Amino acid sequence: MLKQRAETLGVHVILIAYSLIAIGPILLVVMNSFKARKAIFGAPLAPPNADTFSLVGYAKVFHASHVVTYFGNSLIVTLASMVLVLLLGAMAAWALTEYRFRGSTALALFLSIGIMVPIRLGSVAILKMMRAAGLNDTLTALILVYIAQGLPLAIFILSEFIQQIPKDLRDAARCDGVPETRIFFEVIAPLLRPAIATVAVFTIVPIWNDLWFPLILTSSDSTHTITLGVQQFLGQYITDWNAVLAALSMAILPVVAIYVIFSRQLISGLTAGAVK
Amino acid sequence: MAKLHIDALNKSYGETKVLVDVDLAIEDGEFLVLVGPSGCGKSTLLRMIAGLDAPTSGDIYIAERKVNALAPAERRIAMVFQSYALYPHMDVLKNMTFGLKFTGVPAAERERRVAEAARMLRLEPLLKRYPRDLSGGQRQRVAIGRAIVREPDVFLFDEPLSNLDAALRVSTRVEIARLHRLLKATMVYVTHDQIEAMTLADRIVVMNQGRIEQVGKPLDLYYEPANLFVAGFIGSPAMNFFTGRVERIEGGEALVTGPCIGSVAVPAATFSPGDDLTLGVRPEHLGQGAGAFSTSGMVELVERLGEASFAHVRRADDRLMVAEIRGRDTPAPGESVTLSAPAQDIHVFDARGRRLAATPVNSA
Amino acid sequence: MAEPMSQVVASMPRGRFLALMALFLGPSVAVYTLFSIYPLIATMALATYTTDSAGAYAFVGLANFVTLLADSVWSKPFWNAAWNNLIFFAVHMAVQNPIGIALAGLLSLPGIRFKSLYRTAIFLPTMLSVVIVGFSWNLILSPLWGVAEGALKSVGLGGWFAPWLGLPSTALATLALISVWQFVGIPMMLIYAALLNIPDELVDAARVDGLGNFRIFWHIKLPLVLPTIGLVSVLTFVGNFNAFDLIYSVKGALAGPNFASDILGTFFYRTFFGYQLQLGNPTMGAAVATVMFFIILVGVCFYLFVIQRRMRRYAF
Repeated sequence: MLKQRAETLGVHVILIAYSLIAIGPILLVVMNSFKARKAIFGAPLAPPNADTFSLVGYAKVFHASHVVTYFGNSLIVTLASMVLVLLLGAMAAWALTEYRFRGSTALALFLSIGIMVPIRLGSVAILKMMRAAGLNDTLTALILVYIAQGLPLAIFILSEFIQQIPKDLRDAARCDGVPETRIFFEVIAPLLRPAIATVAVFTIVPIWNDLWFPLILTSSDSTHTITLGVQQFLGQYITDWNAVLAALSMAILPVVAIYVIFSRQLISGLTAGAVK
Repeated sequence: MAKLHIDALNKSYGETKVLVDVDLAIEDGEFLVLVGPSGCGKSTLLRMIAGLDAPTSGDIYIAERKVNALAPAERRIAMVFQSYALYPHMDVLKNMTFGLKFTGVPAAERERRVAEAARMLRLEPLLKRYPRDLSGGQRQRVAIGRAIVREPDVFLFDEPLSNLDAALRVSTRVEIARLHRLLKATMVYVTHDQIEAMTLADRIVVMNQGRIEQVGKPLDLYYEPANLFVAGFIGSPAMNFFTGRVERIEGGEALVTGPCIGSVAVPAATFSPGDDLTLGVRPEHLGQGAGAFSTSGMVELVERLGEASFAHVRRADDRLMVAEIRGRDTPAPGESVTLSAPAQDIHVFDARGRRLAATPVNSA
Repeated sequence: MAEPMSQVVASMPRGRFLALMALFLGPSVAVYTLFSIYPLIATMALATYTTDSAGAYAFVGLANFVTLLADSVWSKPFWNAAWNNLIFFAVHMAVQNPIGIALAGLLSLPGIRFKSLYRTAIFLPTMLSVVIVGFSWNLILSPLWGVAEGALKSVGLGGWFAPWLGLPSTALATLALISVWQFVGIPMMLIYAALLNIPDELVDAARVDGLGNFRIFWHIKLPLVLPTIGLVSVLTFVGNFNAFDLIYSVKGALAGPNFASDILGTFFYRTFFGYQLQLGNPTMGAAVATVMFFIILVGVCFYLFVIQRRMRRYAF
């Protein structure tokens, strides 16, 4: 018994220690972003108090960059990509798992190439194509690329989820006379909700966080995403610690907030065995 | 309400034959049970009647109408699945009405049908609940209700009780029997449980390895099994089999002897000396004492159930046979016993496993 | 065996079935082919051309690859980047995956409370942008701020501190460790999920046999999650040989000091877009991308045909 309790205690010590390693640096950056310059350097590990509290960094970020625009762009690009990746991915996954036809296995293989081969390697041609189509420096270009990037893994994950839906359900729907398209939209699609978290972690979060494609496909402030905007702002104001910490925190906080709110679903979705 | 007619149905996946030349005619209002060991093709047959799987060849007629090319919904069937297959994101009411929307049933009519089915199955208090909040028995009733509101010509049940616990299985079985009387509908019911088959069926179809072994009324199958498979499948514990050989023909009777049986006379009609055959005796017909047929062995185990006990007896050929013994006076393990059976309870099967209509006449 | 086609589908008129498939698969296949597969192929095709000063393209066959791998002006930085990339990957395999496995093992022990809290905390960095993570660590490790130095001093190791990101000998390893810190949540989560799938009875049986927690993990659980570890390894490989953001945001396109932290991703970026006074070269960039493609392809094929084939998946 005693040995067991000592063992449990040891496990907790290790897990707490690693959890601190994981969130400590993030906490440090966020904490110091609310402090005056002197306090940042004087006592970096102290939380802000009445004396040291300052929003000067945030004022600077709002003043010197189009952070609201960047944020809006990221939101548009990520949401549009997410909706389309989920919708198109689920439809394709359903068609590939449910309907067998000549070439369906080959098509599934074709679609899975993108899981392993990063689309980034096609950047040279993507840029040429977008220029030719007059789409360079538009959010549309980003959304199209991100859908193409996200689909293969989304189809893979959603197929696994679809296979877990009892086959009897669609048989029952067919006996009930439900048309094939409605079977997907009214019977299958609502049951895929638990998959959204898994798809989000593996395909949507990388879109929000991506630097590469905004870097090569967008050139003006009006189309920059938050990741690129912050990156460029950081490069420009590298010596202004208040501004840098504030910019970092502004990029961190929304993600952390959403993550913490949904972490239960997110993690249960991840561990539900979708990716085995 | 409709007749169902199946004509030379075959199904194979590549080399594997799942169904072989299945012919079957089901009467209007009949309760037909398909029974057999797992993998015998009974579920496949049901799914083909439903239109969920396509036959490799052969035809299916429902109400004199060839339905091969029709979608399930156009066949006027309803199916109750083993897993219930309730839509998890719809409440009970929606589950029952969902399919009706697509088959053009007007709203008022939908309401009437649901009200009626809910009353019949005592589902009224559950209509607003979701499947996850229902017990197994309630889910099964909803699944049956969903079938009833479709007012189908034929009800199809795919092992509907196998996910229920023992007590619930009995009460739901009674419920289904009551529904059949009430609705007077044609029902085809798949199960691997012979008790379900015996209690529910007007007629039973015993299937094995994709073929129909026998079709008949429950007690006919029990008393007159067509072959070794049916004889062994229907009845629990299973029938005891004894191998034997025809010694000689004498006065229209064949004298049979075997490794663990005393010699027995059977009608000679189809036999000639030297022929192999199998004799079958049900455990309840094997008793202690004298009879036309006798065998002996050593008791290995006695299972006491109360109304009867099952003695497992090791025979001379080292196989076990089971005898049902009534009363408190049971043999003890290790005891040698002689068991016998009256002539009319002995089943005779020829070398190909087919049962001969007549029974042995007397002991030799 | 593939599930046989249902009667419903088999009896559907051919035109209607095609329309249904076009509706369900058409958009995905179109976007994916146009913006993922076609660019890959076009990039490989472009790698066999060269441009002159007027911008006209001329077919040169494999000449670009010969230049890249053999001409010392190109091959030196290329091999440097490839070698660094290999080190980057090795650090992940040696540090990230063992830590991830260990954490998953600890979290899957029975009777550990606050599991979801620990998981949430450890997975948090994975959710953040690599750019943000890179910059944050840049600040934390900066001698200017002195946080890292202060932390080491507080445990009496102040002498160990060095501007790790700035030194050629340590820059790459430090960056790799930052990446490990960020992504350790992925192996942890995937392996944790696999561990959860092991039936409790199996673990109970081992416990009844007298095995302690560590031995149960080592002899029972670990062998059963080997396929997941294989999957994690190939995901790490693909991710590492495709990495760019971290090094670009911490060290810039030049991947300093003196290319000490240059990996294939940054090398590709410089080749294609140019840097400082050097002009970008799309055809050579395409050649670099093609080589990266083949490196990843070799890794993936090695996984699919050598590793995965030898691993047995156990059904529970």
